[in-house]
Amino acid sequence: MVNRLIVANLVARPMRTMLSVTAVAVEMVLIILVVGLTHGILQETARRTAGVGAQIMVLPQTTSFVMGMSGTPLPTQLADRIAEVSGVQAVAPVATQVSSNGGVTMIYGIDPKRFDAVSGGFRFLQGRGLQAPDEVLVDDIHARAHKLRAGQTVELLNHTFRLAGIVEHGKGARIFMKIDALQDLLGAPGKASVFFVKVVNPQQTAQVLEELRRLLPNYQLRDMAEYLSLMTASNVPGLNNFITVMIALAVSIGLLVIFITMYSTIVERTREIGILKSMGASNRYIVSVVLRETALLTAVGIGAGIGLSFLLRRLTGVVFPTLPILITPGWMLRAGLIALAASFIGSVYPAFRASKLDAIEAIAYE
Amino acid sequence: MTEIIRIERLHKIFRIGKVEVPALRGVNLRVEDGEFVSLVGPSGCGKSTLLHVIGGLTAPTSGRVIVDGMDLGQMSDGLRTQLRKKKIGFVFQRFNLLPTLTAWGNIALACHIAGNRNGNSRAEMQAVIKMLGLEARMGHRPYELSGGEQQRVAIARAVVNRPKIILADEPTGNLDTENSELVLNMLCELNHKFGQTILLITHNPEVSTFTDRIVNMRDGHILES
Ligand SMILES: Nc1ncnc2c1ncn2[C@@H]1O[C@H](COP(=O)(O)OP(=O)(O)OP(=O)(O)O)[C@@H](O)[C@H]1O
Ligand SMILES: [Mg+2]
Repeated sequence: MVNRLIVANLVARPMRTMLSVTAVAVEMVLIILVVGLTHGILQETARRTAGVGAQIMVLPQTTSFVMGMSGTPLPTQLADRIAEVSGVQAVAPVATQVSSNGGVTMIYGIDPKRFDAVSGGFRFLQGRGLQAPDEVLVDDIHARAHKLRAGQTVELLNHTFRLAGIVEHGKGARIFMKIDALQDLLGAPGKASVFFVKVVNPQQTAQVLEELRRLLPNYQLRDMAEYLSLMTASNVPGLNNFITVMIALAVSIGLLVIFITMYSTIVERTREIGILKSMGASNRYIVSVVLRETALLTAVGIGAGIGLSFLLRRLTGVVFPTLPILITPGWMLRAGLIALAASFIGSVYPAFRASKLDAIEAIAYE
Repeated sequence: MTEIIRIERLHKIFRIGKVEVPALRGVNLRVEDGEFVSLVGPSGCGKSTLLHVIGGLTAPTSGRVIVDGMDLGQMSDGLRTQLRKKKIGFVFQRFNLLPTLTAWGNIALACHIAGNRNGNSRAEMQAVIKMLGLEARMGHRPYELSGGEQQRVAIARAVVNRPKIILADEPTGNLDTENSELVLNMLCELNHKFGQTILLITHNPEVSTFTDRIVNMRDGHILES
């Protein structure tokens, strides 16, 4: 019966109901997309790094984790020494650089033969492999995002390159060029940022790792599987804080709108609350009516927010193919609970005020 | 006959800022169980206030107010709410139906608040609705009903939980003669059939002829008859 009253109240004020449902939906979308985007990018990066096909990564001692694969302090000759270690099948030195025109994109400078030996070779969708120093390859997602075709020229790092081919995505970076070309551009001839090491038998990764540690005590050696498992938001400096700030922002939108909605509702329904009291409704009853009304609004908003998030993800996928958004049931649930808690907090005071109204004055209220 | 309401030296003073407005100044009143009493008097003499105190909507400032054996002066707000829920049905001049609910919804909500959620209350509802001739109007919202119909729905809502006492504050004040008579006849019928005690405020001397006894009020007092 209370449900009927609540629904009737909500239907009686369609604009206001819509507004607060929208606010909750926006709250949900903000949380789901911010979290989804950071997790999506991390997961995507991890997946691509795994796609290189190496079991071990050799990094300079000082390189910070995850986003830190930049700078070129590794002498490439070291790769030859690593290749001689027993159990190692192939080593690919890679120089990396971040290009920031039109979104942040990682560029790999590779030695095509050695990179293929580790990764098993690119699958070409258009064009052919790298030959000249002024050539680049891009993956299909990058090509789609920037509407590129093999054979045309592209601007990168303030230089003009010819797009030799388009490869299937999933092997480290989205843009590749010859390592010497990149080294020249960076003014670091003979230096690499990372060595990708493929072992003969992946089961023996640990032993090979041991061996390499002995050989290269001054370098950072990482088991790829372990590295990838550490690729989470909490391991990226500042990312968790960013997420927290965004969630707080979303929560304040939801909380404030619900507060204003419920407060104006009880002011407007002062008389009806008085009537309920004259009918014998207790303070608890009144509080529960207000809270349940909020809960219903919020539930609808949560549903709408989840729907909208999926819709936006689809749209984003079309407009910005390089932006992966990861929507997980866990985070949908968490976002829903956060929205519910925010709405609850926003409606506690209005509910309390409603229960404390003087019934007689309320009934006299025009 | 047993006494259901007993009021002794009841005072009610409203405070508006620093100004004190004495609305009731020593009211003494006894009402027998099953009595139909009309309360008459000039505007502002405290009739509504007296009804609100009896119904537990407002606390007395001093004096004794005993309703069905319980002293309201000693009761907390929560206990007065309990009393109102179990023993009192209010009917107002302005009907005071919940505008977003249908007639049926208004009556059903009263059952719900009183905690009658079983099948019993449904049968009870049907009986009351039938008695008040409202069968055809149940699906309508208040604004789709005439004043007389609205007031009958309000009465149905007030009596559906079989409260011992019905407190009616000028229930016919907004109705034409025909509808007034209809509503009064129904109150009489309820009084006879179920033995509900009714306290009815009116300005209309004709209305008071329907009742067992007339109580006159003046300036916060009850005049001895
Ligand atoms: N909530 C209140 N706050 C302050 N004063 C009030 C309040 N309610 C009533 N009064 C005052 O108490 C006095 C009695 O009011 P009450 O409403 O009981 O009169 P009444 O006999 O019902 O009048 P009427 O016939 O016009 O309805 C009046 O002077 C009124 O102004
Ligand atoms: Mg009055």
